[in-house]
Amino acid sequence: MRAPSTLSTPMARFADALLAVDLPALPVGPRRQTVSFIDERVQTMPSVPRFGVKAIGVGVDIVSRLAGVDRVISLVTKVPIPLLAEYPRLIRSLAFAYIWETWPATETDGAQ
Amino acid sequence: MTATNEWVASHECEVLVIGSGAGGATTAAILAEAGHDVVIIEEGPWVDQGEVVPFSLEQMDRQYRSGGVTVALGVPSIAYTEGRCAGGGTEVNSGLYRRPPEQAIARWQSEYDIDDFDADGLLAICAEVEEQLTVQTVPGEHTRASEILRDGAAALGWEHDESPRWMSYPEGGRAVDGKRQSMTRTYLPRAFAAGARMLTEHRLDRLVLSGGKATSAQLSATTTGVDRPTTITFKSVFVCGGAIQTPAILQRAGFRHRVGRTLAVHPTVKLAARFDENVNTPDDVPVFQVKEFAPGISFGGSASHPGLVALSLTDNWRDFGAAVTAWPELAIYYAAITSQGRGWVQAIPGVRDPIVTYRLTKRDRALLGQGLARLALLMLEAGAAEVYPSFKQAPLVRSRADLAKMTAAFAATKASVMTVHLCSTAPMGENHKRTATDSFGKVHGATNVWVNDAALLPDAPGVNPQASVMAIAIRNARRFADERAG
Repeated sequence: MRAPSTLSTPMARFADALLAVDLPALPVGPRRQTVSFIDERVQTMPSVPRFGVKAIGVGVDIVSRLAGVDRVISLVTKVPIPLLAEYPRLIRSLAFAYIWETWPATETDGAQ
Repeated sequence: MTATNEWVASHECEVLVIGSGAGGATTAAILAEAGHDVVIIEEGPWVDQGEVVPFSLEQMDRQYRSGGVTVALGVPSIAYTEGRCAGGGTEVNSGLYRRPPEQAIARWQSEYDIDDFDADGLLAICAEVEEQLTVQTVPGEHTRASEILRDGAAALGWEHDESPRWMSYPEGGRAVDGKRQSMTRTYLPRAFAAGARMLTEHRLDRLVLSGGKATSAQLSATTTGVDRPTTITFKSVFVCGGAIQTPAILQRAGFRHRVGRTLAVHPTVKLAARFDENVNTPDDVPVFQVKEFAPGISFGGSASHPGLVALSLTDNWRDFGAAVTAWPELAIYYAAITSQGRGWVQAIPGVRDPIVTYRLTKRDRALLGQGLARLALLMLEAGAAEVYPSFKQAPLVRSRADLAKMTAAFAATKASVMTVHLCSTAPMGENHKRTATDSFGKVHGATNVWVNDAALLPDAPGVNPQASVMAIAIRNARRFADERAG
């Protein structure tokens, strides 16, 4: 089994917060395991997209600390800003694929 | 020796083949059987068929480049996948087989001035390939997800057929009983039987050139704990790394003429359709394809693991997410188009991976929308209770009346566009203004460097390109062997 994430990277912190909003009933353990999966997948991305994702992640992380992560999530998931909008899309894609592949009986709100 | 990942400081061979997919495996088999001393190098591991669940995340981890998270940048960006294992894409794809269309062969020959290139010769090689790979249709029962495509097309009077696959079946076997006849089961064992050697889990760092001639390849192990380099010296080298890696390898070696400038793909958009019965077969893909609007648009079915079903719903999770719990009743389908757009593959000094871009034309974007609308109609005709298109702000489609809303809401920039067919980054022919290699894959300006994979196809053929790749690779390898046999 994949080790739970320690939320030590900007991407992990944002992904954890995004999943808490999207799937509020997903238990913390599976959520952290999913974040760990996302982190690993991003590490294996090709060089240039990986650099871009990490750069966006750092920027979002800084703004989240200043303005609050909930407001940032609301902004980046609702406003179609080019490139920036791809960031939560990538995280959701990886997360949802992992969750339902690993726990197919998961409910829509993340309850297991 | 068959295949090994053991570190050795150096190897010598007559012919080095870089990559072991549809192009590399066939090249190695033909050359080894002609008496050449062949070494194959492969960046990924050897994974036997059946060792991992098809289309699963574990398979993506072990057999896809970057775990399957690869993208051609653009508006929209296009997700793509590359096999990265012994056998390359043949180990992980759907195994669907289509001969190159005769119109495509004629177009390639005339527009790119390819010598000794005609349908009769190429299709004769296809027949050999079909025998080797036991290409056939399903002898027994189809999956329900597959029958849906057939039934929907039949109800609309649209042209459709069953795509053969490179599978072996027990007598009267069902679709799910098929055993994939990929390169690790066919051409690679043939190459080994003829004396070829294979080094897996080694990445090519660079080709070393001396006086315009390639002399050796420097490799590093991709397994952890081995940081010593390996050098392979050779007389000739065939680059068969696929349409993304091959141009990057050539560019790093200094070959740039028409290399990586004309990436061609078949972009696809998807939807999930829900029925009043269980239709999902997670480990298999539908074999029926709808060709009513081909070559511009064609329809088929995708892998539909529960994770992939969830993925198909993420663009509009708020409205569609509830459907995920009914995933056994859902299956995923695609509309693929023949694109007029083109992309770039560019190696960047000091950066491990090339940057890949792709630009859809206005016509391509419109065609994607038309394709998705017609596919949704087909699903309704096949009895779908609900259709979930994969693009942001997509409406739920329950009736024909909803199709107009869907068409109005669609924009390619909002869609999850992806492709698995990549080609044309080192096109072949004598027309130097358009090609990177000669008519048999020898790189312009090189004395002993050949390309022999999907990069050679002048453009996307409008059908699954793997048969085209294999036939052309065998043709070129035979020419190489014949010339050296005198």
